[in-house]
Amino acid sequence: MTGSTGVDTARARRTAAPGEVLVEVSGLEVHFPIKSGIIFDRTVGHVRAVDGVDLTIRRGETYGLVGESGCGKSTLGKAILNLEPPTAGSVVFDGVDIASLRGEDLRTERKRFQMVFQDPMSSLDPRQTVEALLLEGMRAHGLDTDKSATHARLRELMSAVGLPPAGLKKYPHEFSGGQRQRIGIARALSVGPDLIVADEPVSALDVSIQAQVINLLQDLQDELGLTYLVVAHDLAVVRHISDRIGVMYLGGLVEESEAGELYDVPLHPYTRALMSAVPVPDPTLEDTRQQILLTGDLPSPANPPTGCRFHTRCPWRQETRCDTERPELRVVEVDGASEGHRVACHFAEQIASGEIEPHEVAPQTAEEPSWGGPRDDGSPFLAPDGPPVP
Amino acid sequence: MSTQPIQPAVRHGEPLLAVRDLRVTFGRRGEEPFRAVDGVSFDVRPGQTVGLVGESGCGKSVTSLAIMGLLPTRGNTVEGTAVFDGEDLLSLSAQQMRDRRGADIAMIFQDPLSSLNPVIQIGRQVTEVMERHQGLSRKEAMPKAAELLERVGIPDPRARLANYPHQLSGGMRQRALIAMALACQPRLLIADEPTTALDVTIQAQILALLKDLVVETGTAMVMITHDLGVVAGLCDEVNVLYGGKIVERGTRHGLFARPRHPYTVGLLDSIPRLDAPRGEALSPIPGSVADNLPWDSACAFAPRCSNALDVCVEKTPAWEGDDVVGLRCFNPMGVSR
Amino acid sequence: MSDQSPQQTPARTSYADRRKQRLDALARASADEEGGVSLIVSAWRRLRRNPVFLVGLAITITFVVLAVIAPWLAPYDPAARPLLDDIRPQTNPVPGPEPGHPLGGDDKGRDLLSRLLVGSQQTLMVGVLATLFGLLGGVTLGTVAGAFAGWVDSLVMRVVDVMLSIPSLLLAFTIAALASRPSQWTLIIAIATVQVPIFARLLRGSMLGQRASDHVLAARSLGVKPHAIVFRHMLPNALGPVIVQATLVLAVAIIDAAALSFLGLGNPDDRRPEWGQMLGAAQPYLGQEPHLAFYPAACIIVVALGFTLMGESLREALDPKTRR
Repeated sequence: MTGSTGVDTARARRTAAPGEVLVEVSGLEVHFPIKSGIIFDRTVGHVRAVDGVDLTIRRGETYGLVGESGCGKSTLGKAILNLEPPTAGSVVFDGVDIASLRGEDLRTERKRFQMVFQDPMSSLDPRQTVEALLLEGMRAHGLDTDKSATHARLRELMSAVGLPPAGLKKYPHEFSGGQRQRIGIARALSVGPDLIVADEPVSALDVSIQAQVINLLQDLQDELGLTYLVVAHDLAVVRHISDRIGVMYLGGLVEESEAGELYDVPLHPYTRALMSAVPVPDPTLEDTRQQILLTGDLPSPANPPTGCRFHTRCPWRQETRCDTERPELRVVEVDGASEGHRVACHFAEQIASGEIEPHEVAPQTAEEPSWGGPRDDGSPFLAPDGPPVP
Repeated sequence: MSTQPIQPAVRHGEPLLAVRDLRVTFGRRGEEPFRAVDGVSFDVRPGQTVGLVGESGCGKSVTSLAIMGLLPTRGNTVEGTAVFDGEDLLSLSAQQMRDRRGADIAMIFQDPLSSLNPVIQIGRQVTEVMERHQGLSRKEAMPKAAELLERVGIPDPRARLANYPHQLSGGMRQRALIAMALACQPRLLIADEPTTALDVTIQAQILALLKDLVVETGTAMVMITHDLGVVAGLCDEVNVLYGGKIVERGTRHGLFARPRHPYTVGLLDSIPRLDAPRGEALSPIPGSVADNLPWDSACAFAPRCSNALDVCVEKTPAWEGDDVVGLRCFNPMGVSR
Repeated sequence: MSDQSPQQTPARTSYADRRKQRLDALARASADEEGGVSLIVSAWRRLRRNPVFLVGLAITITFVVLAVIAPWLAPYDPAARPLLDDIRPQTNPVPGPEPGHPLGGDDKGRDLLSRLLVGSQQTLMVGVLATLFGLLGGVTLGTVAGAFAGWVDSLVMRVVDVMLSIPSLLLAFTIAALASRPSQWTLIIAIATVQVPIFARLLRGSMLGQRASDHVLAARSLGVKPHAIVFRHMLPNALGPVIVQATLVLAVAIIDAAALSFLGLGNPDDRRPEWGQMLGAAQPYLGQEPHLAFYPAACIIVVALGFTLMGESLREALDPKTRR
């Protein structure tokens, strides 16, 4: 396949109207085997890093994925790009199931979806000049056939991310952190992708530099009509940059909503706790606001709690259903919640109306397999996989 | 309990710690000496929490390490004074400083895993401090250690005493470290980015714990962080550092309500906030620390400053203010626009 | 808070605008300065000022130059026996220094200085070639193991482990002894074989580290072809520690070569001198005439030291922790 036809097909596909579904993730699972044994490896269990996620990303929007470390958000981001092969499920990108692609088919398809990494230093090969880094992807996809056009393209990329063309001859270590992240973004753009997965794109940067990169990402989106999946732990950043947000806890989505609405009407207890925990640079607000302090730690993803994954730390936990039945994402009838607002909580309506009050939760640590709360059966067995969502 | 408001800054009384004109210079063979801390002065009074805020390379951590006598001596010079309880910490011998550390002054570090010895049980690490400074036997210290762990919110403290650090989660490790720091009822606690390595929900737990402890024990605290949100909830007094100097100081409410240094304003404007309406573009601070000018003949921040005047690149701005409120700027925000 | 905002808003807008203009200007300015200095160049700049490296380099260059010009520099043919007449088997088996022969002669009446000079050729050649071949073999195996991972890696590494479990000198000895006719080539092959597993293990380890690195993941996500990922990204970044090891191994190879020659497993033709073989030949006279052993031994030690100093300072210069 020659370079020009490659570009043409990409362009042709891109004429599709914004707002239609670009990525459809269904039943996505990534389980890492836990090996044990001296001579022969035996699989003794699985870390359920991503455990059944369904989400859709529409063309031209920014989908934010937020959660704490260990919730599987980064693994999910990589699994969507098939950089981490999914154990189960599908990722349909513009009609093609990326999750089932392998080898050369996957490689050639990669020009349509790119990634921006957290650490701009470690994700740039220290031995390559910026020019070589930017050329590499174009060469891999045969987009560098015309020499003068390639040269113009390189300059265009540099100016798009706000770097001077003279920087092409330099090496990554000669740039500051923020500039390196710009190079990382230019590299992702070099192959003309539709989708960019940005994994913690600003968390390695200084506070004053973060805003530069956030603004750059937004400007590029406006200019090029890009679709973003932004994975981050910083709720304020995610809320600022995203159109829709998915909140992850222990391998699964617990809530998904339009960005503004999520903060106005948080429905899942975990979302509420997460938002109340973010410190705000306003002393008056800090002094008066009511925090929901979660007790205990994130349970181990190798041995997740039965039922609702959050029930071991949930201040609204009920005696029934919570520890036995895993809730699925559903639309609820709550004031202020729109159609696209989905939450995985059995009692979301009652919590929103104040019918169920929060209560104290005995803290328990991640290492303890048993827990202190009241429980009907002491079954030591792992919860079976949740039923696959159609 | 977590929402208990902090009392206004206690301004009366002698300072517990008075740092004056602290300068730290790093020198390495064949390289230009680098001044990491450039004349920092501040006071910490009993029961007060003082914040040192700034980005990486601003000198906030080096300041705390210098006060604690924890900087490697080779190639580094530390000048100035840090008077703690009538005694200049910077002129103490290594032995005298060791007696002070852990007893009168304790420190909490950013990374709880690397600050704990991986091959020694938690209980042993907590009691070690008490054995060393209070002359207790291990037997006497153990129940106290269990009490401490309970105090910092570690469930089932007696069982945890026998655990090794890797058996605890990140949040629990940081609690164990705080327990160690509190073991000898220090009068000053230095917390160096104590929650940066933790998730937000765990951060909220640890901050609430620190708040409670300060109120309960009356210990003074120096809080070192890059997060203005953390400062807003915790510190009585805030010092903003840039390029090794304090550029602005204020009380908690004063500084956030009316920031005056363009750098402070820039920091506040460049972070997205959960409490602000969505959709407003951020105004980043242009450039990076690499653009700094030397303080000797200019304001280091001038090249990145939108408010800069000609004088900013010709003279060093002087510190105007006292030990409660102050500013180092020729053209502060909201004055002569 | 809220009563502050109305009066601040207009001022902040212009402030933000002015900032936006400065942003581009500054981003350009600071990236526009002199640059294009690769890691290797900046490592070299550091090395150039390191006295330890310079001493090592001076020693090495001196010996290499001496080896190259030895045939012209040596006052006598190393095989000729100008001092044969001075040998008195009972009283004076080794001719001492005399005019024209500053170091005297050996037990066969050959000029010692000339033999030392010419001997450097053989010794350096054996050391350098053995290390080169060892490097070649080790890098090939290490690359294969690190690039394919999985069962290929397991297979290669088991073979390497077996080789490593045999004491290296014993292994070299065995290989050299198996050769039907000992020569400097059996020496080279024996020593190279011993080095292969060391290089292979080292490279494989650092290849696997690269494999898990962000920049290799970035290349994969970019759709770079697998062979390009191995040869453009993984191998060049993984080679650093191996190159350092090679300079250090050079010293060991020279010592090993001397040891094997000493044991008579090198070139049996003593008309072409070699330091280790000279040491071996000096053995019967160690008591009376220690200088016969001293000179070649000193040469071996100094050359090995030169390579070691270079290797250590190279390691320091390439260490990411010492980078700015």
